[in-house]
Amino acid sequence: MIQTQIALIQRELWEHRAIYVAPLVIAVIVSLMLVTGQVAVSAFDQAIDIVILGATNLGDNERAAAVTLMMTATSPMFLITMWIMTIFYALDSLYAERKDRSILFWRSLPVTDAETVVSKLLIALIVIPLITFALIMLTHLMILAIVSVWLGFHGADAWHLIWQAAPLIDTWIATLIFVLTLPLWLSPFIGWFLFVSAFAKRSPFLIAFLPMVILPMLEKITFGTTMFAQVFFTRSVRMPLVRGLDLSDFMSDSGIDQEVIAESGLSLLSLIDITSYLASPGLWAGLVVCGLFTAAAVYMRRFRDET
Amino acid sequence: MTSLISAKNVSKKFGSFYAVDNVSFDIEPGTITGLIGPNGAGKTTLLKAMLGLTDCQGSLSVLGLDPFRQRKELMQNICFIADVSVLPRWIRVSQLLSFIESIHPRFSRKRAEELLAQTKIGAKAKVRELSKGMVTQLHLSIITAVDAKLLVLDEPTLGLDIIFRKEFYANLLHDYFEEGRTILVTTHQVEEIENLLTDVMFINDGKLILDATMDSLPDRYVELMASGEDAVRARALNPFYERDVFGKKAFTFEGVDRDQLRELGDVRTPGIADLFVAKIKGAAA
Repeated sequence: MIQTQIALIQRELWEHRAIYVAPLVIAVIVSLMLVTGQVAVSAFDQAIDIVILGATNLGDNERAAAVTLMMTATSPMFLITMWIMTIFYALDSLYAERKDRSILFWRSLPVTDAETVVSKLLIALIVIPLITFALIMLTHLMILAIVSVWLGFHGADAWHLIWQAAPLIDTWIATLIFVLTLPLWLSPFIGWFLFVSAFAKRSPFLIAFLPMVILPMLEKITFGTTMFAQVFFTRSVRMPLVRGLDLSDFMSDSGIDQEVIAESGLSLLSLIDITSYLASPGLWAGLVVCGLFTAAAVYMRRFRDET
Repeated sequence: MTSLISAKNVSKKFGSFYAVDNVSFDIEPGTITGLIGPNGAGKTTLLKAMLGLTDCQGSLSVLGLDPFRQRKELMQNICFIADVSVLPRWIRVSQLLSFIESIHPRFSRKRAEELLAQTKIGAKAKVRELSKGMVTQLHLSIITAVDAKLLVLDEPTLGLDIIFRKEFYANLLHDYFEEGRTILVTTHQVEEIENLLTDVMFINDGKLILDATMDSLPDRYVELMASGEDAVRARALNPFYERDVFGKKAFTFEGVDRDQLRELGDVRTPGIADLFVAKIKGAAA
């Protein structure tokens, strides 16, 4: 059972290499941009002196906040990539095997339809987030390393200014919780995408997104209400996990507000309210919806005759 | 001995159209059965029902299992190559072997690698880089390396050139077919498999119109070539099919004494292809 799941997940990674290539590309781009930026800044001696002087004169708390900000500023890019990749992956996962006509081959192997569909759900809910998390960690280390080299080059004490200041473990645990809770919160969408992927004869992308546009419009025209729009919007941006923050803020390129970090006593982890997340009826209702769509996807794969 | 496959009153309906219409038969272990029928006769639908890839009405038992409900258990003991079951183009040969090794309890990777070593297929190659013939070779190597009781082939050599086709069946007999293994095969190229078969079934319009062992065919069916007066007399004996061959008439008889016919002209046992045409056309007339 477990061995079959591992093999199935491995199979998905062979087929969908974007799952690790896309975040890797982002990590490389971020690192390159940082190096380029620093080379550019290095042209102005005065500016460097001021930056280093400023960093040295900061209190421990402010310096930790600044370093955290520097690291996490890249996270929104990873999270947006993660979500776009999840959408494309889920929509392709049960459609590609029908399009390339390999479905009968896969179904001629001793693996149940449920096992196959579950492996694809696990990729979207767990594997993509974990890979994204690993590359976020790697990027953090790259950023700190590049900045350290730059500081060292200009005679500053990088160990003191950067490595001692960075609350790495705290930031990483908070990031890990965030990347794992986000897909669960958005799971009704993932379930819907899997179902459309198993159901669509063509254009799964269009079939998946058209109802999300048309239903709110029809509702608005017919009843003058905006219930669907609110459900979609609330689900998309209001995950009850990070205190005082909308996802919409987090997804915007400003990252996390520095004031909020300072108030929190420099800990991203302390901003995370796992209790209110778990106690949210929206989470559990969403998981039920995801389960129903997944079951429907299994049913489609099992009963549809592909001749 | 219990049957490997047992079908009783099996039907499959698409809307109001019966793709398979009330079919009953048994397939015994150790046989090579040819399932022959024109396009759209219901061959593939029937095979899919046997493989648990589609549901059906009636009672169908394969290796003592209900194919649709117990597909996973069934697939541990069945292998399947079909024109429509193509290997994924993105996968590498080595990845394919690793994957099957980890999900199939009866697959021997060593055996598959031995078989592949006799071909030009490299382990690093992707399926999309292989020719159609090589993909079929790859597929056959994989299923030959599975210790399965039943092998189902649905138009396995479609689109292959003559060399690959000959080689395919030679390898099939040489490497796969051993004691206790059973093969069920459908193909349009009837002549190619005629000599391999132990049993034959004809299907037309979803109905089974012949289910016989190859050994029993000479006793049941005779083809007579006659002309002139003899042809008139032959026609009186109720052939179920008649055709023109080079100015002579060829009659196909069922259950008529061979010695009696010999007096009217040359007699022979019809080949599967001729018999098939006679059965289909004869039924239509």
